[in-house]
Amino acid sequence: MEITLAQMAFPEALPAITMAHYLFVSAAMFVMGLIGFLTRKNMIVMFLCTELMFQGAGLALIAFGRHHLAADGQTFVIFVLCVAAAEAAMALALVVLLFRHKETLSAQAWKELHG
Amino acid sequence: MDTIISPIALYLICVLGAIGLALALPRRNKIFEITGGLLLAGSIGLAVLVLGLSATESGQPLPNFFFYPFAILALGASARMITHPRPVYSALYFILTIIASCGMYLLLSAEFMAFALVIIYAGAILITYLFVIMLATQAPSSASEQLIDETDAVAREPILACVIGFVLLAILTTAMFRGIGDLPQPTTAQQQLAQDSVLINLPRKVDRILDRAGVLQDHERVVRNDDGTAALDIANRTITIENTDLGTIRTVGPDQWPDKLIAGNLDRLGYNLMNDHPMTIEIAGIILLMAMLGAVVLARKHIELEDDLKAAQAKKLGESMNPTVEAGKA
Repeated sequence: MEITLAQMAFPEALPAITMAHYLFVSAAMFVMGLIGFLTRKNMIVMFLCTELMFQGAGLALIAFGRHHLAADGQTFVIFVLCVAAAEAAMALALVVLLFRHKETLSAQAWKELHG
Repeated sequence: MDTIISPIALYLICVLGAIGLALALPRRNKIFEITGGLLLAGSIGLAVLVLGLSATESGQPLPNFFFYPFAILALGASARMITHPRPVYSALYFILTIIASCGMYLLLSAEFMAFALVIIYAGAILITYLFVIMLATQAPSSASEQLIDETDAVAREPILACVIGFVLLAILTTAMFRGIGDLPQPTTAQQQLAQDSVLINLPRKVDRILDRAGVLQDHERVVRNDDGTAALDIANRTITIENTDLGTIRTVGPDQWPDKLIAGNLDRLGYNLMNDHPMTIEIAGIILLMAMLGAVVLARKHIELEDDLKAAQAKKLGESMNPTVEAGKA
């Protein structure tokens, strides 16, 4: 039940099976984000789902960093946060722009855009 | 190459989860949604149970008890986030997911990132999302009984997406559970030695901790080596201290090494960030600046003005900016 705060003491190494627990949660979060992105039609919810995928990746980074008892995992989560913030700014500006054109948030309104 | 849980159980969980999520995604018939939610919850619970059983079987310790509520909260909230037909509720469930994953960050002893995540994600990014959702969602007209927008009421290709997603989950977890046993396990002592050597590069912090612990007397400080590092012997736990007035030098043994003289999470993270990834910080700054500029350019409103209106505006601006010209003409 004891929680080791790395600020106060050096944490113990993480057993492989505990890592597996955290990695399962992170993979499940990533996959749910993916499914949400594919199925939802609302553009804002689609971008929220990409944020969920970022979260899944971040949890895996932290878990691996803890396993190797190195700070690099946490450093990378800082950069993931940066990219997520940049993505949120761009995505929301884009959504507002598209909403002004068609007065709807549906991604289906733009289905004539073929690659 | 030993897998942690049996592949049959893993694939069964994935199939159950896929069926559950496919049913739970927004559709017209509400009964399916409840059944799907129950199936999905069952598959999440089964997964946690199987993982726990395999832990007790192999004799390895279970994760901290608090892992279970946080994991179930995170997965349940993210499932509800992608299945809830209303975008505002989706955003709120996402905040719940983030707070639950912050709990897991704490269990993984990443305190700084846990709190940074609450502040930046739940506090800043998600509030921006909520603003845009509220700005872009029209109030439902009283004439139409339909409260939820057609866009959000029905999912697009739920079965196909769930099959793709859960096949990916099965592949990911199979690969991870097979390989994870073979990962080299670092010894804690070695790692602690390597990490505490961060302290050598922080002589003023060492001074402060020693002063608070009462190891230093007046006019004393840790000896600085020629390259500015503190004269600490991490392996043997000895500290070399000099008196700046008298110029005398003494060495303190491991019995006087204060408990608080360790490189904490923040020291290690900050040192790693600044020492190993300095260029990446610059690049992150440029990305954020460009995103801000891009957002301004994208969301700007184009206002078409008539030519004579433009001329009038220009004349008005010229007058207010340069009144002497006008006076001279008169």
